[in-house]
Amino acid sequence: MKEVIDVMELQREKARRAAIIDYRKMDFMGGFSPALFVFECGKKLNGQPLTLATAAVILHRFFKEMDHSNYDPYLIASSALYLAGKVKDDPLKIRDIINVAHNTLHRGSTPLEIGEEYWNMRDGIVQAELLIMRALKFEVGTIHPHKYMLHYFKSMEGWLGKDVWDNIPIAKLATCFLQDLHLDPAVLDYSPQHIAVASISLALQCYGVQLPLMEDLDDEAWYSVFVKDLQKDKHWEIMEKIMEVFSKETGH
Amino acid sequence: MENRYEKIEFLGEGQFATVYKAKDIETDNIVAVKKIKLGTREEAQDGINRTALREIKLLQELDHENLIGLLDVFGHMSNVSLVFDFMDTDLEVIIKDNTIILTTANIKSYTLQTLRGLEYLHLNWILHRDLKPNNLLVDSKGVLKIGDFGLAKMYGSPNRINTHQVVTRWYRAPELLFGAKQYGTCIDIWAVGCILAELLLRLPLFPGESDLDQLTKIFGVFGNPTEENWPGIKTLSDYIEFKPFPIIPLKSIFTAAGDDLLEVIESMLTLNPVARKSCSECLKMPFFSNKPAPTVGSKLPLPQSIRKIAEIERPSLKRKLLESAEGGTLSKRLFV
Repeated sequence: MKEVIDVMELQREKARRAAIIDYRKMDFMGGFSPALFVFECGKKLNGQPLTLATAAVILHRFFKEMDHSNYDPYLIASSALYLAGKVKDDPLKIRDIINVAHNTLHRGSTPLEIGEEYWNMRDGIVQAELLIMRALKFEVGTIHPHKYMLHYFKSMEGWLGKDVWDNIPIAKLATCFLQDLHLDPAVLDYSPQHIAVASISLALQCYGVQLPLMEDLDDEAWYSVFVKDLQKDKHWEIMEKIMEVFSKETGH
Repeated sequence: MENRYEKIEFLGEGQFATVYKAKDIETDNIVAVKKIKLGTREEAQDGINRTALREIKLLQELDHENLIGLLDVFGHMSNVSLVFDFMDTDLEVIIKDNTIILTTANIKSYTLQTLRGLEYLHLNWILHRDLKPNNLLVDSKGVLKIGDFGLAKMYGSPNRINTHQVVTRWYRAPELLFGAKQYGTCIDIWAVGCILAELLLRLPLFPGESDLDQLTKIFGVFGNPTEENWPGIKTLSDYIEFKPFPIIPLKSIFTAAGDDLLEVIESMLTLNPVARKSCSECLKMPFFSNKPAPTVGSKLPLPQSIRKIAEIERPSLKRKLLESAEGGTLSKRLFV
């Protein structure tokens, strides 16, 4: 049970720290900072989880194509949110995005008056949107790991039994890990199925949960019923990426 | 326009876009280039047009002979342009062209192609939400493709609230008219049923002048819905009671249609959306395998204007001119 407490404590600690992040003083950190900004603003804007995941993917794909030192990462992040809202039919109003982004960058400040700064920011977001679309070659659809994860959860609920499933928040933790990986461009490097499996694996390990009927099968991984093409080392690699993000998050 | 596409002629202008016929100089193919308007300052400040974005996102993932193909997207300055398959005409033009005779075999072919495209769409969890004759495009080889995905949407999330203000009124299903916010593939099937009826009548089946009039026209044929034939109807937000209508047998409306065809119309135009057949179920109905066989593409009739071009290879008249020249006298009879 030791892991349980550690994880909870880390999460709590993270929450305390998150409140005082000053994005203006943060480095680009390989895209971590603007991605964290996407999730913080997206949450405040009440965006759907898939909308935020789309925004993060759009952001990482943009900076894969473009040199980050040429752009304001938080403007691109705001624009990615705006675009993701349209892509996912979960409209985020531009006025709201501007207010939230401004307040998240300048904590405690009053909302922007309609004036030059507001219009500049609005123009910037709109222009960045088209720039992003072009950088992404207009391919804005994303296949998310979330839907695979949900199906795996459904099967695992029966596999583990309702008792275990209801008492140990595996699904909740796995979902957190999945979101954490979206803070890193590594999320682009693996198939959605593999990411879903690795997130669940990590959650299972945190809680020390073993899937029944797997003890006698040393060679077979628990996830082989879900994905056939995930090698052990790749599986580890993804889990390590998630943990790396975790240390970036707490390390800051 | 990007250098790759050589503008041939102006085709039309809609609310959000201007469409040109153009030649792709890399492949020599004729294409349609849809340039999204970012006209007014107001619109430009909202960035990329939602409708265009929907088309881009959905069509990039789809590939079916009976769906319009999105061949390319490019941006120039503050513009976005979409490149589509070029389609010579559409079902609205064909229906309105009274020099064209639509036989059962022709109608079967158009309906089959529509259902195949729509089946693929529904299997990919997408609702079209705006099916009507002028969105069913036809090329000179007789291939029908479903076009205009500006209102299309992913469906299937049980908690997702949709707007019921979709689909051009005449093709709008009764549940939408009663304000249903959660609906599915059945709304597209209703529209196909209306289009099939229109292919037979050469006039819209339910040309409602308002939402209420639309329901009046529907119930005027099928009779009033009841809790028995449509359980739960009274829970719909805009439900209202109508004065009782007698049921008119379809046979007396579609006098020249065979029983197998009437059966298809009846399955598509079932008031209760739950009881309405799906695309796959419709495709399995006897009508589609019975004689006569559907007309092969090359034998399907084309509007005069297209035939002329094919004959003397002259650039086509503008669609708008064509429409105004045709006017109102339309045959109400079914030619079979």
